[in-house]
Amino acid sequence: MAKELFFIIVGSVFVNNFVLSRFLGQCPFLGVSGKTETAVGMGMATTFVLTMTAVAAYFLQNYVLAPFGLEPFLQIVSFILVIASLVQLVEMVVLKISPALYNAFGIFLPLITTNCIVMGAALLIPMNNYNLIKSIALGLGAGIGFTLALALMSGIREDLEFADVPEALRGPAIVFITAGLLSMIFMGFTGLVPLG
Amino acid sequence: MNQYARMIIVLMIISIASGAVLALSYEITNPTIQEQARQKLEQSVLTVIPGATKMEEIQKEDMIVYIGLDDEGNKKGISFEATGSGFNGPIEIMVGYNPIEGNLLAIEILSMSETPGLGAKIKEEAFTSQFKGKSSEEEFAVKEDVQAISGATISSTAVANAIKTSLDKIVKIYPVGGDL
Amino acid sequence: MQIIKDFVNGLWNENPIFRMVIGICSALAVTTAANNGIAMGLALTFVLTCSSILVSLLRNVIPSKVRIPCYIIVVATFTTVVDLFMKAYFPALYEVLGIFIPLIVVNCIVLARAEAFASKVGVARATADALGMGLGYTWAITLISMIRELLGAGTLFGYQVMGDGFTPWISAILPPGAFIVMGILVGLINMINRKTVKDTDCH
Repeated sequence: MAKELFFIIVGSVFVNNFVLSRFLGQCPFLGVSGKTETAVGMGMATTFVLTMTAVAAYFLQNYVLAPFGLEPFLQIVSFILVIASLVQLVEMVVLKISPALYNAFGIFLPLITTNCIVMGAALLIPMNNYNLIKSIALGLGAGIGFTLALALMSGIREDLEFADVPEALRGPAIVFITAGLLSMIFMGFTGLVPLG
Repeated sequence: MNQYARMIIVLMIISIASGAVLALSYEITNPTIQEQARQKLEQSVLTVIPGATKMEEIQKEDMIVYIGLDDEGNKKGISFEATGSGFNGPIEIMVGYNPIEGNLLAIEILSMSETPGLGAKIKEEAFTSQFKGKSSEEEFAVKEDVQAISGATISSTAVANAIKTSLDKIVKIYPVGGDL
Repeated sequence: MQIIKDFVNGLWNENPIFRMVIGICSALAVTTAANNGIAMGLALTFVLTCSSILVSLLRNVIPSKVRIPCYIIVVATFTTVVDLFMKAYFPALYEVLGIFIPLIVVNCIVLARAEAFASKVGVARATADALGMGLGYTWAITLISMIRELLGAGTLFGYQVMGDGFTPWISAILPPGAFIVMGILVGLINMINRKTVKDTDCH
């Protein structure tokens, strides 16, 4: 069990990084990877929401959707509504408990609802038949992988500011090409986790 | 009408309309989806049991076993599903088996999400055909009696291990040399 | 003609993929073969058009405080409809596109057009805009997938086009290829337009 959990986490952080290999969460990856500080803040906020969503998706799937046979047509609607409400809830709770924390990453929270990494992770849970602990591991692993990709990219972009990039490639174009190189590096982790 | 009542009423109407549309779409598509799934299953069972033209589904202990029959109703072999964890997710395999001889008839990969160009080659004939005629007594050790796809040892190992695990269960239910 | 302008806008000037750089998750993930690109594009166009029409029709009915939940329900409903019909009638494509069909629900293009355009204009303009954006998305990801399929497998729409001497550049259909092809295309289109997109429109 511990071994499988380890594989899920290492798998989602390195081998099949959610951003660089599964292509989830591209929007914030391009949009908020300009500065390391904001990138890490966004990463942490997303990790938090992802982990909570994983738990919610697990219970929703196994105690509501599957037993009543609603899964085929209510899964998408219910997952997105749960994610949206969860994000709203987290925002309110964080604001109430710690205004300092809210200032640190509260501004990222509303953007997380439409981050497809959250919905993607939620959908992967019933697809892989994960139990509660594995679901949490997936949510956490996805979040850490997302944070890692964002932090790496922001570090590179801070240096890119001083590079002489051809006019046409400035902005998202060079970020994509850099992401391609990062993704190639991450392919080096292939085989790190022996499955099966 | 105060604005809160209006908000709630609008949200409720939209939710109800959405529910109705979804239920209707489900009613329309569900028979086709079920039929597609059944056809796909039958197709793969008939592929892995050469000579079979129809199939029968039975439950043996915790395994679901599909028996392949020819036109005269002779049993041509059995098949079962094996699942392994591949590189990117689960790999589902349909395995055809002949319990009398104790060897595999053929295998087919039902679903997988391995890397295109590398692990995805487990789907190809070049890889799957090597399992044909393999005895249930073999170890299914990759790089020894199973040829791995170069650059995709994990996917190849996942397939070999999944088949071996399910095969061991089946051998207990259908001892080699016994009847179908 | 305003309607024609709205339609053409999404095809080139504000192309969601190449100019606004939004909704790229699916554009990178499913573009390993040209067929997938077209299928994904049409699925998104359907959801986008239906949602825009409905949002535009209901723009005076939905109170602004609950508009986002309403849009989400509308988009999620149409996404599920596409999901079910694809599963029933195009099972092979459905399997390849995987979770990216249900993920249309969080595709920035759909919600952004509902919020920024369809909720402010009449049905005709909303439809034209949605169709333009949808087809703009479709041609963009079909182009990406054609390039990746050609380089990575030597085929186009499944037909062999490269000669026997061609060694497929497998990286093109692996994740790094997606990013690099995308980056080069965005750069090329910047050059053609003589105006560089400085930042993505979605955060």
